[in-house]
Amino acid sequence: MEQSTSGTVATPASRPDYDMDIVKKFFTATVVWGIVGMLVGVVIALQLAWRPANLGLPWTTFGRLRPLHTNAVVFAFGGNVVFTGIYHSMQRLLKTRMWNDTLSRIHFWGWQLIIVAAAVTLPLGLTQSKEYAELIWPIDVAITLVWVVFAVNFFATVAIRKVEHMYVAIWFYMSFVITIAVLHIVNSLVIPATLFRSYPIYAGLTDALVQWWYGHNAVGFFLTTPFLGLMYYYLPRAADRPVYSYRLSIIHFWALVFLYIWAGPHHLLYSALPDWAQTLGMVFSIMLIAPSWGGMLNGLLTLKGAWDRVRTDPILKFMVVAVSFYGMSTFEGPMMSIRAVNGLAHYTNWVIGHVHSGALGWVGMISFGMLYWMVQNIWNRPLAYPSWASHHFWLATIGIVIYTVAMWAAGLMEGLQWRALDDAGRLANPIFLDITHRLNPFLWLRVVGGSMYLVGAVMMGINFWKTIRGPSAPAGARVEGV
Amino acid sequence: MNPLLREAAASVQFGWLMGVMTLVFIACFLAWVWYAYTPKHRQMMEEAARLPFMDGGEN
Ligand code: HEM
Ligand code: HEM
Repeated sequence: MEQSTSGTVATPASRPDYDMDIVKKFFTATVVWGIVGMLVGVVIALQLAWRPANLGLPWTTFGRLRPLHTNAVVFAFGGNVVFTGIYHSMQRLLKTRMWNDTLSRIHFWGWQLIIVAAAVTLPLGLTQSKEYAELIWPIDVAITLVWVVFAVNFFATVAIRKVEHMYVAIWFYMSFVITIAVLHIVNSLVIPATLFRSYPIYAGLTDALVQWWYGHNAVGFFLTTPFLGLMYYYLPRAADRPVYSYRLSIIHFWALVFLYIWAGPHHLLYSALPDWAQTLGMVFSIMLIAPSWGGMLNGLLTLKGAWDRVRTDPILKFMVVAVSFYGMSTFEGPMMSIRAVNGLAHYTNWVIGHVHSGALGWVGMISFGMLYWMVQNIWNRPLAYPSWASHHFWLATIGIVIYTVAMWAAGLMEGLQWRALDDAGRLANPIFLDITHRLNPFLWLRVVGGSMYLVGAVMMGINFWKTIRGPSAPAGARVEGV
Repeated sequence: MNPLLREAAASVQFGWLMGVMTLVFIACFLAWVWYAYTPKHRQMMEEAARLPFMDGGEN
């Protein structure tokens, strides 16, 4: 219960009038774009296993749909889910309504418009051909404007807060808002030639370094820090116990943001990048294990004493698996940053396995946990089909395992066969295509695992639809298990 | 690049640069460990950990 510190008026009615409408908007967008992005993922997975799925049309080929997938899952699903959580939790943590409702709405509609623009331009083949920054310059300008609107609203809300101390989740969100702005602007600097074409201001190696400084920190500050912020708010809420060590959260926050920024060169090992810069990236990547595992341990230990509930509560199950995959992918990443290991992994499906153990395991599962918790809370009603949440959990978990194990196996096989020599020192597999053909069973397994993950997400969507349209809990009643 | 800048960059000794950076980072690290663990902040940390629960109900 809220407590009055001043001793004067603090009636329940004085609770701030939070803007819940904006949370519901982002919530809905998250579920819709999530399903779309994962569907495109399954389609491109199928295309790699079975060529006719490219349909022979330029707009539907793998090359054009792949960036559609990455943009949809990272910026549409990932972006919207983070905004949902930020608008919901920051108003509560700071005990104030968002500073300006109009800015919130410009942010919402602007972001959705950008996503639609991406969904139109990418299949048309309009691209800047920089990974995770494919969108053409007019859309880049729009992203910058919408981001500034969001940032102004965000920091103004921080400024008018009614709580002195900013909870650690807010710090994680801040790192996201600031860093993404800087990354996006620096990496997108181009000289426009026409409405659809432009030339980057960087060339050669500088271009590559800027690109992977951006690319890696997109992972760090789009797919990691804001999601850790969500973990620090929603895991304690769902488990009904405060975070295991608040001190650890502060230390690992600062260590994480300090180290992440330098790790980008691990994407450019064995390239023309000077050796010292490669080594720098490698060393910082290995050091990243420490703060990453600090976060993982803090998440897992928060559940100490609540393990009986983990067995029965699907929300906690999603969160435990998410945090475990976070730990796994942040162990795997530093290992892959070691030059010798990277020599084996680079260009192979191992990287794709790593990506999706982070993306499906960490980003996806923590999001699902949060969404299931939130739908019952903000609409104040129990899930329409509680058992479906459990089915979703198992479909997703088994789907991830099938997906990632298939990719690890495929990646190791590729890496080893590419470099294998025969007794005379010649390539043992001189025909590259032979090795590519051998990947096929694994690619089919990925279609299976990915489809399971998608079916789970669709079940979640139907469940939410039914829940939101169903009867609400009686006034004053708390939804069970929440 | 401006030739003067190029010359300056070439003469920077990376060993020095990295050494200084390492020291700066260690100092920062010690500072925030101190901030988190100093007994003076104990109560503040405990209160902060409870912030997600100071909400007084949902919706
Ligand atoms: C149904 C689930 C999904 C399936 C079947 C799927 C499938 C795929 C496929 C086939 C690729 C291309 C791999 C290649 O070029 O060899 C890919 C790339 C990628 N996906 Fe997914 N995906 C799914 C969900 C997600 C989610 C939820 C995220 C992020 C939150 C994500 C992030 C990415 C990224 C970042 C890449 C690019 C990886 C790279 O360039 O190394 N995917 N995905
Ligand atoms: C300590 C943490 C991590 C480190 C040091 C790390 C390191 C690496 C390395 C070495 C690569 C391979 C680069 C290559 O050979 O091409 C890579 C790729 C990738 N990682 Fe991580 N990783 C970490 C955590 C994560 C997490 C948690 C996620 C997802 C949420 C993630 C997403 C990705 C993506 C999307 C790529 C593919 C980039 C591309 O080529 O398109 N990583 N990472």
